[in-house]
Amino acid sequence: MKQAVYGLGLYVFLCLPPVVTLVESIMSFHMHVQMPLLIIVGILMAPFFQKKLSGFFENWNHNGVPGILLFTIILAYWMMPRTMDEALTIHAVEIFKFISLPFLAGVPLRDSWRKLGKMGKNVIYIVFSIMFGFMGWLYVAAPTQLCNNYLIVEQKTLGWGFLAFALCIIIYFIQLLFIDESEYE
Amino acid sequence: MEMAAKEIFKEKTNKALGVNPDDARLTLTYFSLAFIVLFIGGTLGLLQGLNRAGLLELPAWFNYYQVLTAHGILLILIFTALFMVGYFYAAMSHTLGGLIPSVRKMGWTALGLMLIGTAMVVITIVMDEATVLYTFYPPMQASPWFYIGLVFIVLGVWAATLGVFTNAAIWKKRNKGQHLPLLSFFAVGAFLLLFLGSIGVTIEVLMLIPWAFGWTETVNVMLSRTLFWSFGHTLVNVWYFTAISAWYVIVPRIIGGRLFSDTLARVVVILLVILNVPGGFHHQIVDPGFTEGLKFMHVFMSLSIAFPSLMTAFAMFAVFERTGRKEGAKGLLGWVKKLPWGDVRFLAPMIAMIAFIPAGAGGIAQTNNQLNQVVHNSLWVTGHFHLTVGTTVVLTFFGIMYWLIPYLTKRELTPKINKLGIIQTITWTVGMLFMSGAMHLVGLLGSPRRTSYTTYGDNATALSWDPYLFFLAIGGTLLFIGVVLMVYIVFHLMFKAPKGNTEFPIAEPEDDASTTPKWTERWGLWVVLAIAVISMGYLVPIVDLVVNAPPGSPPFRTW
Repeated sequence: MKQAVYGLGLYVFLCLPPVVTLVESIMSFHMHVQMPLLIIVGILMAPFFQKKLSGFFENWNHNGVPGILLFTIILAYWMMPRTMDEALTIHAVEIFKFISLPFLAGVPLRDSWRKLGKMGKNVIYIVFSIMFGFMGWLYVAAPTQLCNNYLIVEQKTLGWGFLAFALCIIIYFIQLLFIDESEYE
Repeated sequence: MEMAAKEIFKEKTNKALGVNPDDARLTLTYFSLAFIVLFIGGTLGLLQGLNRAGLLELPAWFNYYQVLTAHGILLILIFTALFMVGYFYAAMSHTLGGLIPSVRKMGWTALGLMLIGTAMVVITIVMDEATVLYTFYPPMQASPWFYIGLVFIVLGVWAATLGVFTNAAIWKKRNKGQHLPLLSFFAVGAFLLLFLGSIGVTIEVLMLIPWAFGWTETVNVMLSRTLFWSFGHTLVNVWYFTAISAWYVIVPRIIGGRLFSDTLARVVVILLVILNVPGGFHHQIVDPGFTEGLKFMHVFMSLSIAFPSLMTAFAMFAVFERTGRKEGAKGLLGWVKKLPWGDVRFLAPMIAMIAFIPAGAGGIAQTNNQLNQVVHNSLWVTGHFHLTVGTTVVLTFFGIMYWLIPYLTKRELTPKINKLGIIQTITWTVGMLFMSGAMHLVGLLGSPRRTSYTTYGDNATALSWDPYLFFLAIGGTLLFIGVVLMVYIVFHLMFKAPKGNTEFPIAEPEDDASTTPKWTERWGLWVVLAIAVISMGYLVPIVDLVVNAPPGSPPFRTW
């Protein structure tokens, strides 16, 4: 349960107004620091919910597929330029971000990950590297401003950030294919 | 039967005491060259210190700035790189049961590449074609051959890195289920960090070469600086990495103690690899061209490096206290008396550790905007640097020499050389106290760094710096004596010391130590996290500097 407390601490820190203002002032920090950290909050808090609502997770996320699907939908939603823009201008959307990313993406991710088989995990690595690669291309190549709140240069930076993320996933995936962790048990 | 038993016994003793002569030759060659470089660099340091204090006029054909460039590059890049490769190759040879022949070849190739590079760099500096100071970023432009020399040095470092990774990977394949021995784990971490850190500077130098040849007219100065510092600060932490590997693994054994915690040491390695590279940004905290918000976030990046250092400080002093108490120490600080102060193998790294307390604190102070503005580009920075690298790192390196060379040459450290070593350590410490202390103080008063002696037309403020600069020169002289003593000790231990058996001291874990978790070996994950953190730190400034590039700068020759 220690992890859940750390998660709560991180959540409170991320909710502090000066922190929110600072990380949202730079586009790539908004998407590539704040949002992943919110997901990590959920990942850390997951054991608490798994313990309290074990029946719920057993009924609705038996094989991990619904959870990972929910995670993917939430992430895909927050990758749209418009949603990030709205989070800055519409209060309700900002609140939704702070609820959806930890509790509808982070928590289901942790609950699903162990339940997924090797095949399922590989699909996720591939899907997300393609998705991040596509987003990278979109943000780098788009000639117009996609978000009202951020300049084109920030958009391009975010694009390169997506490509870096995609590269990280690909490297990790490839090393998983070549290194058999069980050999080092 | 008796013969067979004897053979087994011999094999066992060889395993415990022996060293592969081929591996020993490789490391000893590295060390010989490293200490020749130290001697040349130290001599240049003395000339520099005396000139800076106004006591010595350097000739026009070899001026202060040439001396500074050569002193910096020889000691900061070459000495440390040679030492690091030699030391870690010896560590791997010992802990992994000998180097694999192909890895040994990589070690020799690395040495060849580094020497070619060093020769090119030194020749261009002596010819006064590359007086660009050791930071070598534009708009000051050196001869293209200077930059090509740097490429060779980097290629040498990469060859050595490949050797370390290869040896570790093959050992892991042959020893399934076992953790890489801690010292080799440090080697993998240190070389991984060196590799990640050198990517930026390689890109920088590859941009500078066409510019230096005149094929491109201008160069993006801010981008070059950013790429340089992604390497510059990381390099400092690579040496620190090398030093703490000895603190964690060797020092406890020398004082008769045990490892504090294998897991903690490995976590420190992992954290240093992941967090380090973006820390270099604090060197640009007063540079124009970056937003305030970005600089503010980079303070976190810089300070995060302090975290594993504080863990190290805790672990080391815990080992000292535990060992002292086991030997019957009483009271709050009674264990201090139980430490083997008369053993130079302990004294040198111990002073190195103590020096790291003010050195690290000074470093933390410089990470933030306001304090950095006070000391930026003043002699304070040079003082800080000499305290961290010149004392913490180098004294640890010296401490390693007293057992590693006798181990490799199958000789012994005599009480006489031990005594001389203590004198050397004290001379070095006092010299550094004077020199680095004076630099810190006069830096606070505004004296600039990288400047030949000048009174700025007898300006009162500049004249008030003189007494401090005098102390700087006295310290520099003591340090030069220290260099001479150390070079003598190293070569004496290599060729003259009496034959005997010296142990490679590796601390054992405590009897009740918990097992090291398997996740510490997940290098794939650490590499990916390091790349993610580097991209988090550097994408924003670099894309901005490329997309909104300032007008490129033509070359400048300021000398």
